[in-house]
Amino acid sequence: MAKTYAPTDLIANRRLYWIAAGLAVVMMAPVLWIIGLSIKDNAELMRGTQQVFSAPYTVVNYLNILKSSNVFGWFLNSLIVALGQTVGVLILSSLAGYAFARLEFPFRRTLFVIVLFGLAVPEQVVIIARHQMFNWFGLHNTHIALILPGLSSAFGVFLMAQFFRAIPRDIDEAALLDNTPPFRIFWRVLMPLTLPAQATLGIFTFLLAWNDYWWPLISATKKEMFTLTIGIASSQTNFAQSEGLGFLSAQAVFAALPIVVVYIFFQRHIVTAVSGGAVK
Amino acid sequence: MSAAIEIQSVTKRYGALTVLDDISLTITPGEFVVFLGPSGCGKSTLLRMIAGLEAVDAGEIHLGGRRIDTLAPGQRGVAMVFQSYALYPHMTVAKNMAFGLENIGLEAAEITRRVTEAARVLEIDHLLDRKPAKLSGGQRQRVAIGRAIVKEPMAFLFDEPLSNLDAALRGRTRLELAQLHQRLGATMIFVTHDQVEAMTLADRIVIMNGRKIEQIGTPMDIYHRPKTRFVAEFVGSPAMSMLPVAAVTAESVEIAGLGRIAAQLPGLSGFDAAGAVLGVRAEDAHVLPADQSGLPFTISVVERLGDRTLLYGRLGTVCDLVVEDTGRSTAVAGQTVSVGFNPAALHLFDAAGRACDGLGG
Ligand SMILES: Nc1ncnc2c1ncn2[C@@H]1O[C@H](COP(=O)(O)OP(=O)(O)O)[C@@H](O)[C@H]1O
Ligand SMILES: [Mg+2]
Repeated sequence: MAKTYAPTDLIANRRLYWIAAGLAVVMMAPVLWIIGLSIKDNAELMRGTQQVFSAPYTVVNYLNILKSSNVFGWFLNSLIVALGQTVGVLILSSLAGYAFARLEFPFRRTLFVIVLFGLAVPEQVVIIARHQMFNWFGLHNTHIALILPGLSSAFGVFLMAQFFRAIPRDIDEAALLDNTPPFRIFWRVLMPLTLPAQATLGIFTFLLAWNDYWWPLISATKKEMFTLTIGIASSQTNFAQSEGLGFLSAQAVFAALPIVVVYIFFQRHIVTAVSGGAVK
Repeated sequence: MSAAIEIQSVTKRYGALTVLDDISLTITPGEFVVFLGPSGCGKSTLLRMIAGLEAVDAGEIHLGGRRIDTLAPGQRGVAMVFQSYALYPHMTVAKNMAFGLENIGLEAAEITRRVTEAARVLEIDHLLDRKPAKLSGGQRQRVAIGRAIVKEPMAFLFDEPLSNLDAALRGRTRLELAQLHQRLGATMIFVTHDQVEAMTLADRIVIMNGRKIEQIGTPMDIYHRPKTRFVAEFVGSPAMSMLPVAAVTAESVEIAGLGRIAAQLPGLSGFDAAGAVLGVRAEDAHVLPADQSGLPFTISVVERLGDRTLLYGRLGTVCDLVVEDTGRSTAVAGQTVSVGFNPAALHLFDAAGRACDGLGG
């Protein structure tokens, strides 16, 4: 049988493979390090972190999370904020994106340009004004305060508008001829077609919200309103962090769990999202 | 169930651009009417106005005696098959067909009956559980037609539904559409820029060009008695040749710079020969035997089609001409031969492109 044609150069591919493997090790090392630290006794780590490489190992740090720390409360706060933002962003971006893509209304183009400007405005520019606003309304130290700013997602509106635009109008028109009421066209005909975009946007929003540090740091000043990021940072007691290193690491691992879960369940969508293609 | 469609003085504008200007047309119940014309002439626009996807700027549209241009698309009793098929990608074939029926609250048993029946007729029953992405182009096409059939509409509207199919499938589907029309007996409007589709499918063809209807007639009417030069040149392949005319009488035409040829031209009264042209189809021009004299024709390209041969070239030094010869033609490029014309099948058009009355066979 004739040798089949190989479309890509295998040698080059193998080299890429090793480079990727090397990078993966570099990426994974700190993660493994933290996991290692988290299963060591705090006192033992005081003597030196090389103890990670030898037994005994323990789950006592994780048990301490369950028992004593505020981590559970913070975890819950993070979950409420991240889910709240995700759901809110998906709803608002879908509605706004649909409107920009399909409806005729005054100043549609101008408004869209303004939305796009939102992409270019960094959080730093607005944060003081935002802080004052929330102060006036007395909203600080509430979940609402942590969720609200994240809902105006210029990226989300832009993404959804582009996605709705990419759906041929023939589909809407077929639905019109099929006697479909307007909202049902949006909900039953077009929305299901945007699922890939919803997944992308949802994952990004969730991860961003979960990892957000700055706004919760400003808005949540009471310990019980901390999100995980703020909470864990606040449990860093001394500069060198020689005490309680195992416990801190366990908290970090615990905080990362939802992210890991999201990655595992939505891996396919994340790859699609990051590589920016394959929208069907 | 089929119904008459009446289009009364319909006008369509996009801003300052008038796309359709005062169009009137009556379609009888059960008729298969084809809108034929070059790309951009407004065929789709007119169809979409009937469907309710474009607003009517002036005039009225009636279907089955009821005014419909003021109704929502879904209320008009029409079904449309799109060029892109426009199937709902996330719904199965069955669901695609059922969706519109569910929207009007038809009972489930009736929906199932109609979907099953349509699927059987279109031979897509084995595909009912598939999504459109898993179908071939031809199968999607059938589903799109099925989605129209189950609505049991008073009129079917097709916008170039065959143009995304490959040639073989297009031919077959054309035939099936004709059969479908016979079986359903429904009023159908079919938009195309393909004259073969128009000729083969239509009871009547509506030729459109430049905001207006050029001519309405049966395929044979359109082909043999084109009312305008545009229709004459647009329909027929190869396109009709146009010879410049110097003078006409009832029995002959003088071709500018070449001489007279015999022609039967009744109803010439009032015809202005200035700037007129004489239209000749390839099959009405022929190479004369060596002992007969006609007009000199210099062949530049010989196109052999097997059953016949098309000779492309110039008539004298005056104009281009296509002449049909037999399949076993001995003509070669570069040769100059004598050609004659069928006097009963010549088409005379005045300078404005209007046909001289009573022309042609
Ligand atoms: N939404 C629109 N806005 C402006 N012009 C349009 C629009 N839709 C169609 N047209 C114009 O109307 C004319 C007729 O279009 P159409 O009906 O699609 O032609 P056809 O189907 O015969 O190819 C074209 O010149 C096209 O450019
Ligand atoms: Mg068109």
